[in-house]
Amino acid sequence: MWTDPTRRDFLSRSGLGFGSVALSYLLGGVSRAASTNPLAARKPPLPATVKNVIFLFMHGGPSHLDTFDPKPLINQLDGKPVPESFGDVQLQFSKFREMPILGSRRTFARYGQSGMEISDLFPHLAQHADSIAVIRSMQHDGFTHTAALNWLNNGWPRLGRPSFGSWVVYGLGSESDSLPAFVVLLEGGIKSGPPVYGSGFLPAAYQGTVLRNGPAPILNARRPDGISSEGQRELLDNLKWFNERHLESRADDSNLAARIASYELAFRMQMAVPELADLTKETEATRRLYGVDDRRTSDFGSRCLLARRLVERGVRFVQVWSGSTTGTSDWDGHKQCDKNHVEIAGRVDRPIAGLLADLKSRGLLDSTLVIWGGEFGRTPTSDGSLNGGGDSLGRDHNPYGFTIWMAGGGVRGGKVIGRTDEIGLRAVEDPVHVHDLHATMLRMLGLDHEKLTYFFQGRDFRLTDVHGNTDLVKRLTRS
Amino acid sequence: MRKYALMMTALLNVLVFQHASAQTAARSILQSNCMPCHGAAQMSGLDLRTREAMLRGGKRGPSIAPGKASDSILYKAVAREGALQMPPGKKALSASEIAVLQTWIDAGAAFEDAQHEESGWWAFRIPRRPPVPATTSTWATGELDRLLEEGLRKQGLSPAPLADRHTLIRRAYFDLHGLPPDPAEIDQFLNDKSPNAWAKLIDRLLESPRYGERWGRHWLDVARYADTGGYETDVYLAHAWRYRDYVIDSFNQDKPYNTFVQEQIAADEIWPDDLELDGSYDLPKQKQLNLARRIGTGLFTIGPMAAESTFFGGQYRTEWQADAVDTIGSAFLGLTIGCARCHDHKFDAISQRDYYRMAALFAGSEDREVPIVSRMGIYEYTRYQTRLRSADELKAKLQRLDADARKRDSANPREDGEPLPYTAEERDQRETLLRQIGQAYLTAPKLYAMANLLVHSDRVPDSHVLIRGDFKQKGEKVSPGFPAALNSGPEIVEPDGNLFIAQRRKALAEWITAPDQPLLARVMVNRIWQGHFGEGLVATPNDFGRQGEPPAHPKLLEWLATEFAAGNYSVKNMHRVIMQSSAYRMTSLARPSNATMANAKIDPNNRYFWRMNRRRLEAEAVRDAVLYAAGALHGKMGGPPIAVPLTKEERSGMRDFSQWPVSSDPADFDRRSVYLMVKRSFRLPMLETFDAPDSSFSCARREASTVAPQALALLNSEFTMKQAGRLAARLQREHGGNRGAWVEAGFRITLGRAPDHEERAKAQQFLERNSLPNLCLLWFNLSEFLYVD
Repeated sequence: MWTDPTRRDFLSRSGLGFGSVALSYLLGGVSRAASTNPLAARKPPLPATVKNVIFLFMHGGPSHLDTFDPKPLINQLDGKPVPESFGDVQLQFSKFREMPILGSRRTFARYGQSGMEISDLFPHLAQHADSIAVIRSMQHDGFTHTAALNWLNNGWPRLGRPSFGSWVVYGLGSESDSLPAFVVLLEGGIKSGPPVYGSGFLPAAYQGTVLRNGPAPILNARRPDGISSEGQRELLDNLKWFNERHLESRADDSNLAARIASYELAFRMQMAVPELADLTKETEATRRLYGVDDRRTSDFGSRCLLARRLVERGVRFVQVWSGSTTGTSDWDGHKQCDKNHVEIAGRVDRPIAGLLADLKSRGLLDSTLVIWGGEFGRTPTSDGSLNGGGDSLGRDHNPYGFTIWMAGGGVRGGKVIGRTDEIGLRAVEDPVHVHDLHATMLRMLGLDHEKLTYFFQGRDFRLTDVHGNTDLVKRLTRS
Repeated sequence: MRKYALMMTALLNVLVFQHASAQTAARSILQSNCMPCHGAAQMSGLDLRTREAMLRGGKRGPSIAPGKASDSILYKAVAREGALQMPPGKKALSASEIAVLQTWIDAGAAFEDAQHEESGWWAFRIPRRPPVPATTSTWATGELDRLLEEGLRKQGLSPAPLADRHTLIRRAYFDLHGLPPDPAEIDQFLNDKSPNAWAKLIDRLLESPRYGERWGRHWLDVARYADTGGYETDVYLAHAWRYRDYVIDSFNQDKPYNTFVQEQIAADEIWPDDLELDGSYDLPKQKQLNLARRIGTGLFTIGPMAAESTFFGGQYRTEWQADAVDTIGSAFLGLTIGCARCHDHKFDAISQRDYYRMAALFAGSEDREVPIVSRMGIYEYTRYQTRLRSADELKAKLQRLDADARKRDSANPREDGEPLPYTAEERDQRETLLRQIGQAYLTAPKLYAMANLLVHSDRVPDSHVLIRGDFKQKGEKVSPGFPAALNSGPEIVEPDGNLFIAQRRKALAEWITAPDQPLLARVMVNRIWQGHFGEGLVATPNDFGRQGEPPAHPKLLEWLATEFAAGNYSVKNMHRVIMQSSAYRMTSLARPSNATMANAKIDPNNRYFWRMNRRRLEAEAVRDAVLYAAGALHGKMGGPPIAVPLTKEERSGMRDFSQWPVSSDPADFDRRSVYLMVKRSFRLPMLETFDAPDSSFSCARREASTVAPQALALLNSEFTMKQAGRLAARLQREHGGNRGAWVEAGFRITLGRAPDHEERAKAQQFLERNSLPNLCLLWFNLSEFLYVD
């Protein structure tokens, strides 16, 4: 598809083109010709182990040192200066060399057959240690939230690039005929806003659609109060009559036909969304699994459960956010990092474990890649003074070495890949740049990151720019 | 006799030879000794780069008197015959150099302007007016039509017949105003039987300020306009709107395009004016004019920028300069110069060195916020600052009160926006405080007018090639200049050291707007064509390089470019030229007549413009048309950006709701979309779904996607529901309880035409079981409402 040079021209100057490609999709099963349809499901060009992705995004940047990457040395050096041998790095708020080491208040234990070390922040998740592969050597160079969020989500520290989910949908299309292909489940505001799930320079059809908890989950996908169900149906029928009449003398214009069809899709979406969002249909046991009825876990748990329901209904890419700028808090532990993490991990631990268990029991985990991580990790040094005051015991941003983990979609669990130095500052063994992570995930979805391109501003753009390496695929998927 | 003639020829040859060699020698002397200051830098107003400029001279008058060296200022200065001695300082020219200049002036001072080497690439050649074919067809009305017809014939195509007047007036209104025509305006046009009715309509539309709002928005796409900087802080660019208003005003005034470009690049250097604000209430007219021009340089102060500490010092400068070069490339030259930041351009003849020479044009320039009122005005404003301070104190009291209430109730988690549990006493106190705060603000004036403009920094830093674009890896030092492939023009010569006021942007502005600059006119006429036909003659309007599309009709593009230049770069003139052609008035139907039946097979996508393209309204036009039809559109122009209220669903994902300060005057919510806040980290959902551009990069051409969320937005959103109610109220106001009249008027207002028999029956039938607002909602959702034939 993207190897076809005409597609590029076709989509990139698409005033006429896009409408006609949308048409075959919008007409549903009538004509799903893969070559002309931007949202139709497409067979991946390479063998794929992953069909759907659920990205659990821990907004603010969780501390790897207090979760999945234990460092005994920082506890030994607690309160002491950073040894000379670790050099210097640039941080956003604190001067690295002037700050004392901050030890971890967490206790780590070994779990599963693999004996993976996980801290006591994640007692439920730890039960799935043998299903997850931890990468401790993630890195990039964005030490502010926006640069880092853009790195993880858009593969580039600045604005304007399409998000990872948009690239995936651009590459693989949608499996659902009544729901968007890329859905974002937010807790609230994001530090750099909607561009992290935006389509950048790709057509708007590929952008993430926000689905909220509550009665109106998708923007405008709810009949207004003043219009009855019959009234709306009658309106739609009349609209169709007028629009088809308008089309009669303009039959060559596929945009107009696509537009008529888009009202049918809109209507289906409006019908499908309440059913999708209705979690009361789930069994008591399932609800308990996700902690839906527990006040502490209810919010994130509901979104994890929604994520499973979306994947079940063919939605390609789901991103579930923990933490927000407008809600209670996020993982950005500049002050009292430990206290912050105890609170927020308590909201996500059970839902995540529930999601893994539920996907597994329904046979969905084999083809669904679950990935957990934030925009960066945190520093081994304190962000402020160690004694007294609200600013103490915090950790600054650390993009130079941090942890993410993956499960499902062919990933062999119980693995730890890569290593940071003895204080967890930098990735020193098997470093995995964000470009490599993206190249790897695309490859698992059956996409070649070097061939998934879009022509813009005089050149072919890629998610991975001119970088990216897929060596990680083997390490993740082989035992 | 013959012998004599031969001798004369020989003599003439010698003379010509001498003449040529004297010129070459003189040029070389002038270039190395004089042009450093009297080249692009034009010290004392003197420019020695062309003969014309030499004759014009500088402050002291003409520099040369051809045929008479002894009367020439230039000669006397280099010969050190008078008070004026050049070059300044001790270093005089040698006696033989002075003799060459003397001989050259005495022989007439011939000085052919440097011939540019024309590159092989079509877009880099100077546009030349093509020969226009004669035609016998009755379809063609002028040269534009004849060239198009010739181009079509080559493809085996023939032009479509003209559209009817109903179609044309709707097309003209949306093209020039982005709004539908009012029924009364339609009647006026339809009843005007004079032969120039169409020309009069076009003139009327061009005179309305709605025109600048429409075409200004097209330019703002190209200028990657936004009111915030993006990234985490998404900092409010408080004066960006002055640039927006400058653009709208420039289109309304029909400012010549070359002047418009010059102002944006270098108004401060071309029309120099100190920012000393004279000690009177009103600035002198000339100063006001110069300041107004300078707001154009705001173009380089509205780019995406991370105000948090992502970028440090040098890196920030590097990014800022990169944005400036990209913008110059995309907006004015139609070239993707940005590719050359990290390596030589792979397709176009632009080297990495060229890129950093262009970046160096912006070294020594920076973005600064400056007051644009008189000094007395500033004093006046400053006096009232104490009242603002008292407002701050009152606000602090209010915050303390809220904090207490929150603390008391800290156990309960709080929904966003949920009221705090105040005691009755606290409620009273709050009310009083809020009133007092409001009064404090009302009696204090707004801050005096400021604008973000380009100014010169104290010193001009050296510029380097940056290896792989990395600000830490400095390579070869470069001087400012232009790409060789694009007629790089004379060197920019500057004094030694870095303590001088640079004139680099002026050199850039002059280079870009020089009559022999191959891209300026081509790129702009292509944008104008696109604004009328939905597609450019070059389908990639920001890329005229080798990766771009070739023009559909090369000769026509050349003709338009030369016509544009010949018409003093008047954009309104080009609208007239294009709109009065038959080409513009063609029908958009794909099978309009037997004669054009073959066209649809040969060129189904209308790449060659054998008919008009049917176009979906752009995001702003959708919103504006709905408001206009509802009778609610507010005509107020200009001023700070408007933030309209958002529903909780609409604002999801926004970082901080306080960054969306909903405008205090509800009348503002009904203003044209061009005045709405353009926030880089949050696009207004209604506009975003209809493909409003991402403002990170210059947007040359909007997408026109067709997706289900558009249908949802028009069917279910609070916005369309509200406007449907208003249109219903309008119809009832204008036609009382007359249902038949509602239907007639509704069709005329939304579609610009009366319903036919069947449509009328269908609408009336619908109205029997449904409310009038529902019928209005139906009209807003019609394809015919959203598309222009």
